[in-house]
Amino acid sequence: MAHRLSILLNLVAVVLVGGFAASALVRFSPGFDVDENSWNPKFSAATLEAMHRARERDNSLPRFYLHYLAAAMRGDLGQSESLKIPIADLLRERAPVTGRLVALGTAGGLILGVFAAWAAVWPRRMGLEILAVSSGGLLLAIPPAVLALAFFFQEAPLSPAVALAVFPRVFGTMRAILEDLFASPALLAARARGTRPSTIALRYVVAAALPQWVALLGVALVLAFGFIIPIEALCDVPGIGQLAWKAALSRDLPLLCGLALIITFAVASVQTFGELIGSKA
Amino acid sequence: MIWIRRVAWAVLIPIVALGIFAPLIAPYSYDRQFRDDAGAAPSHRFPMGTDEIGRDRFSRLVYATRVSVLLAPAAAMASILLALAISGLLKYGRSAFTTVCLSLPWLFLFIILRAELPLNTGPAVSVALTFGLMGVAGWAWPARVFTASIGEMKQSGWLMQARAAGVSGWRIATIYAWPHLRSIALAQFRVLVPAYILSEASLGLLGLGVPDPLPSWGNLLRDLQHPEVVRSNPWVLAPLGLLMLVMLCLELLHSRCEVAL
Repeated sequence: MAHRLSILLNLVAVVLVGGFAASALVRFSPGFDVDENSWNPKFSAATLEAMHRARERDNSLPRFYLHYLAAAMRGDLGQSESLKIPIADLLRERAPVTGRLVALGTAGGLILGVFAAWAAVWPRRMGLEILAVSSGGLLLAIPPAVLALAFFFQEAPLSPAVALAVFPRVFGTMRAILEDLFASPALLAARARGTRPSTIALRYVVAAALPQWVALLGVALVLAFGFIIPIEALCDVPGIGQLAWKAALSRDLPLLCGLALIITFAVASVQTFGELIGSKA
Repeated sequence: MIWIRRVAWAVLIPIVALGIFAPLIAPYSYDRQFRDDAGAAPSHRFPMGTDEIGRDRFSRLVYATRVSVLLAPAAAMASILLALAISGLLKYGRSAFTTVCLSLPWLFLFIILRAELPLNTGPAVSVALTFGLMGVAGWAWPARVFTASIGEMKQSGWLMQARAAGVSGWRIATIYAWPHLRSIALAQFRVLVPAYILSEASLGLLGLGVPDPLPSWGNLLRDLQHPEVVRSNPWVLAPLGLLMLVMLCLELLHSRCEVAL
């Protein structure tokens, strides 16, 4: 119970630190202190000075952070400087596209990883093992964006490209988990008793490995989110990755930091979920 | 599998040498333009042809190898040093700050940091900043491993004995702790180098990495966005081939090579 509580507290700390980092980046971004009213000839020097002092007081980092966090809790992440649209609206519009791509890609990568790891460990056939290891190694050597471009030019869906990028990065861990399980005394005893292979697979392997595979989900999701930026940007997918790329090119820091906060929260939540499942097991 | 490693080294060493001796090997400078030969097909004069503004593709590939192959280890070294410093300072395992850095896709973190930089930075400074930021942004992964290892070390009897004997903190770190951490640092270095090579390629493809006219494998890969260029001159795939070759060799060096080949 205490362990689970500490995991949840860690999630809260992550979000608070992430929010602080995001607000500090926005606060100290170039041009943040520039007020367009300072060039307005209608204001007197005294008025401008008063406005400047008020702005300085409101923009001290702790106060700015509290305002930023309070607004973020209400769903207000500010406005994009380059697009002049509320960041929350942009996220609402684009999140489903990225969500679908990340979910399908992660699921595909994990499923591929399970099958390849199984093929490398279970039948003990050198050909299968070499095929699984070499395909993982080859895919690891290709930049995910290049992989996605190959799919894009063939007018194929992009989620398999994300899956092929995720698969080699989770394959090693999945293989190690399965190797440990196949060497476990319980499984060896079951084999010696002549238990059917399907029963061994379901009861002794899948059931035992599932919590660890779920814990891997967090890692796979972080990876998939990382691949999404170049893939969406190069393949013209109107998702969050493309939005982040456009924000970087136009130096739209409020948008970048809003995205960072949301992505940190999403990924940390998934990791926490994985850790909770792991601690339950 | 010693012979696999030997093959990997045999491939890697000439590629690294190509990068180190780029000015001696490349027939032209990476930014020299032959305006009458823009978009030229491969020929005796230009073995891989020229790009759309008349620069020799072969010379640019040789110089790109220098940037990508030599600076990625430097960035990895920076990450390791930073991770060691931060892990030494962290008292209680994984901090929330480490977790934030691990939760955020590093490419995302990188583009945020990149967006903070001034627009008028020159190519050389920009290259240093690109790899420098990679080094800074990538500290969290090795830090997690170092922190766990330092945590274990703090519980060990030899450390308590050294402390009880009044050995100074600096001496404990350099004489007692470093030999334990060295192998971990080396393993992390081997993991980070290919990761940074691949990351530079992704950033270059996005136009956020090494800026023109300085070539890198990443910005040379941008030609792959135009299938008609690939069809007319397959040599534009050479940077991808070289990148994959280096990545495969690094994987072979790093892997346990358990497959009984």
